[in-house]
Amino acid sequence: MSKLIIKNLYKRYENKGRKKTDKNEFAVNNFSLECEDGEFIAILGPSGCGKTTTLRMIAGLEDITAGDIFIGDTRINDLHPKDRNIGLAFEDYALYPPLTVFDNIAFNLKAKGVPADEIKKRVMEIAPLLKVEDLLDKMPVSLSGGQKQRVNIARAIVRRPGILLLDEPLSHLDGKMRQALRTEIKRLHNEIKCTTVYVTHDQLEAMSLADRMAIMNLGVLQQFGTPMEVYDDPANEFVAGFIGEPPMNILKTTIIKHENDFYFTFENSDLRILCPKRYYDLLKDGMQVKMGVRPTDIYVGGPDSKGTPVRVAVFEDLCAERRIGVRVGDELVMMITEDETRYRQGEQIKLEVNGEKTHLFDLETGNRIRPKK
Amino acid sequence: MAKIELVNITKRFGKFTALDNVNLEIKDNEFFVLFGPAGAGKTTLLNTVAGLVMPEEGVVKFNDEIMNKVDPSHRNVAMVFENYALYPNLTVYENIASPLRSPLYKKDDATIDKEVHRVAQILRIDHLLERLPSQLSNGQKQRVAIGRALVRNPNVFLMDEPIAHLDAKLRHHMRSELKEMQSSFNSTVIYVTHDFLEAVSLGDRIAIINEGKIIQVGTREEVYYTPCNEFVASLVGEPEINLVDGRLIADNGKYYVEVLQKGYMLPLPENSGIIKKLIDSGTTEYHIGFRPNNVKYTFEKKEGLLRGTVYSFESIGNKAVLIAKIGDQFLRMIAPNDLKVKLDQDVYVELPINRATFFNAQTTQFIGTSDEAAIYRLVQEQLSKGVQ
Repeated sequence: MSKLIIKNLYKRYENKGRKKTDKNEFAVNNFSLECEDGEFIAILGPSGCGKTTTLRMIAGLEDITAGDIFIGDTRINDLHPKDRNIGLAFEDYALYPPLTVFDNIAFNLKAKGVPADEIKKRVMEIAPLLKVEDLLDKMPVSLSGGQKQRVNIARAIVRRPGILLLDEPLSHLDGKMRQALRTEIKRLHNEIKCTTVYVTHDQLEAMSLADRMAIMNLGVLQQFGTPMEVYDDPANEFVAGFIGEPPMNILKTTIIKHENDFYFTFENSDLRILCPKRYYDLLKDGMQVKMGVRPTDIYVGGPDSKGTPVRVAVFEDLCAERRIGVRVGDELVMMITEDETRYRQGEQIKLEVNGEKTHLFDLETGNRIRPKK
Repeated sequence: MAKIELVNITKRFGKFTALDNVNLEIKDNEFFVLFGPAGAGKTTLLNTVAGLVMPEEGVVKFNDEIMNKVDPSHRNVAMVFENYALYPNLTVYENIASPLRSPLYKKDDATIDKEVHRVAQILRIDHLLERLPSQLSNGQKQRVAIGRALVRNPNVFLMDEPIAHLDAKLRHHMRSELKEMQSSFNSTVIYVTHDFLEAVSLGDRIAIINEGKIIQVGTREEVYYTPCNEFVASLVGEPEINLVDGRLIADNGKYYVEVLQKGYMLPLPENSGIIKKLIDSGTTEYHIGFRPNNVKYTFEKKEGLLRGTVYSFESIGNKAVLIAKIGDQFLRMIAPNDLKVKLDQDVYVELPINRATFFNAQTTQFIGTSDEAAIYRLVQEQLSKGVQ
C-alpha cells in the first residue's frame, strides 16, 4: 500500500515520419497526479488519449521520456518492472493455459521462491475475495470470461503489491458480467484498500468505481477530481461532453441583451433562455459562446408554462425512463424524464431550461467560463 | 414494403441447431426488433430473410409469396451491416447512388439525383455529399450506409447491429437519430440488436430470441411488464430486475407472500387479481421480480422494512445504483447520484408488492403481475394503437 506521485510526465514515441510541427508530438504531455495511499484512481479518456501509455510507464513497460514517478518515497523511473512492487491486470487475461487456477494465481509467488505453505495460505486468503475459491482446481479453458478476469486480478493482488494497475479489465466482458464484476472490484478495493490505478474509456466504470478520476485527451490531463466534481463542475467542454449519459447538451449560442437582461439565443431556433444573473458581469450583447446543459436540467413545461414552444423530434420510451429530443437549429437536444407522459413526434411542447444549471464554454478554447465569485 | 412471414424455420450448422422451428409474422411497415444475447441466432435469422442462409426446414414468405428459391439479389432487400462497407473511392453521393446504378435497379440520372438528395436530407448528410468516406466520422459513415439502403425502396430493410461498434456516446446519439428518422423509412424494417435500450426505443414489436428459439414476441410494454419468463425479465431492463424467492401464505382469508426472511410477509393487494392467478398457478413457490427503480430504501431504522447492508454504491451519471445485501440475497435499486453512503452501513429496504411480477419457481414461467400501473399502460398502449 503506497502513495503514487507522478510529476510532469512526458512520453514521446520516436517516429521518423512525424513532422516537427506536429502538435501531438507527445503521447503523454506534462501529466502530473498525486494518488493517496489506498485511493482508487481512474484514468479515463477516449482511445489514443495516452491513458494506457501512462499506466505502462508506471508499470515500467514503457520508457519515460521525461518526468518522475514515485511510489511511496522511492523514485521508480529506473527500477526494473519486477522491483516496482506492482500488480498488473490487463484486458486480456493471459492466464497460463496448462496451469490450474491455483497455480496461475500462485505463479509469481512460486517464481519468487515463497515457501509452499505460505503460498497456499495467501491464495486461500485471496480466492474468496474474488469468488474463485471453487475454481482453484479448474483449468483456464473451462472458465467463463468473467471468471478468467477474476483469476487474473487475484494473480495481480496475491503478491500484495504497493499499487494495483488495472487496464480495461472489464471491456472484454458482456453487459451483465461487466456490471457484476464492476461491483466485485469495488468490494475488493473496500476489503484490501490497495492503491489502485484503473484505466478505462468507459465513463460509467470510472464514475462508479473511482474515488477520483483523471480525464485525459490528446495526452493532456483535462481534469482530476471526484466523480461528482467532474460531473457538476467540468473544467472544459471536453470533460462536459465526455461525462454523463446522455452527455451534456452543448450548443453554440449568441448572447442578446434585452431590457437589462441577457438571453441565450440559437441560430435557426426560437429558443431563448434567460442567462443566470451570476454571468451578467461577463456577458456582452452579441457575444458568442457555447452553452451546456444536462438532459436532466431541461423540462417540458405545463399548460401555463412560459417556456419556448418547440416540436418533439424524438420520443424514446426506455421503460424506466423516457427521453425527449428537440431540434435547436441543427442540434438534437435531449432531455430525460421519469414522468410517464408519452409524446408523439411532431407534437408541440413548451421547453423549459433551468438556466441556473447551465455552463458556459469559450467558443475557441472550449475552456469553462466561470462567473467571478 | 412487404409483410414478412417465417414458418417453421429450422437451420442447422452441422450438429448445431442455430434456428429451432422459428415462426414469425412481421407486419407491413413495421419496425421489428430481434433482440437476444450473443449467439442466440439473430443474425442467422436475418440472413435467412435475406436469402444468404438456406434453412433446412420451413418457408420464408414476402407478401404471401414463397421466397425460398428466390435469389438474394431478386428479393429486393436492403442490408446495413455493423461495418459499413462503403466504396472508399466513391464520394458520399456516389455511394448512396450506387444501388440505383446497378443493372438490376437502374434509374435515370434525374431520378437518382432526386433520390440521393431525399435520403441525404432524412439522414442529415446533405452537406457531406461531395466527401469521400475517409473524410467522415464513424457516425457519418453509418448514415451513408443507411442512406445507400434507403435509396431504393426495398421490400424490407435488414439492419444487423448497425450501431453496435460505435462508441457509447455516438451510439446513444445515433439511436435517438434513428428513432427520429424512423417515420421516414416507409418500409418494413428488421433490426438486430443485443442492446436493450435499442430494442425498447426503436421496436414497434420486439422478438426475444435465445438459443435459436423465439421466446416472446410483443410490444415494449408487453416484454417489460409481462415478460413470459424469467429470462425475458432479466434481459429487458437495466439494472437487471431483482428476483427473490417467495411463498404464498393464506391467513384468515388474507393472502401474503413470505420473502427473503422467515416471517417477512408482504400482503398481496386484494383487488388486483394476482391472488387468483397465484392460487390457480398450482404452486405456492415463486420467484418474485421487483424492478430496481421501484424498490425503496431508507437509512433510518424503520419497523416493517427489511434490514440489510450497503454492498455497493455505483454512480452512473445522472443516477446511481445502490446494491443492498440482505442475508445472501442482493437487491439492486436506483438512488440519487449524490447520495452520501458508506459501504457496509445499514440500509432498510421496502419491496413494492404492488409493483411485483410473479414467476413459477420451478418452471420460471410468468404467472402474473400485481402492477396496476403496468396493466394501465398496456391497455393505454393498445388503445393508442387502435386509434391510429
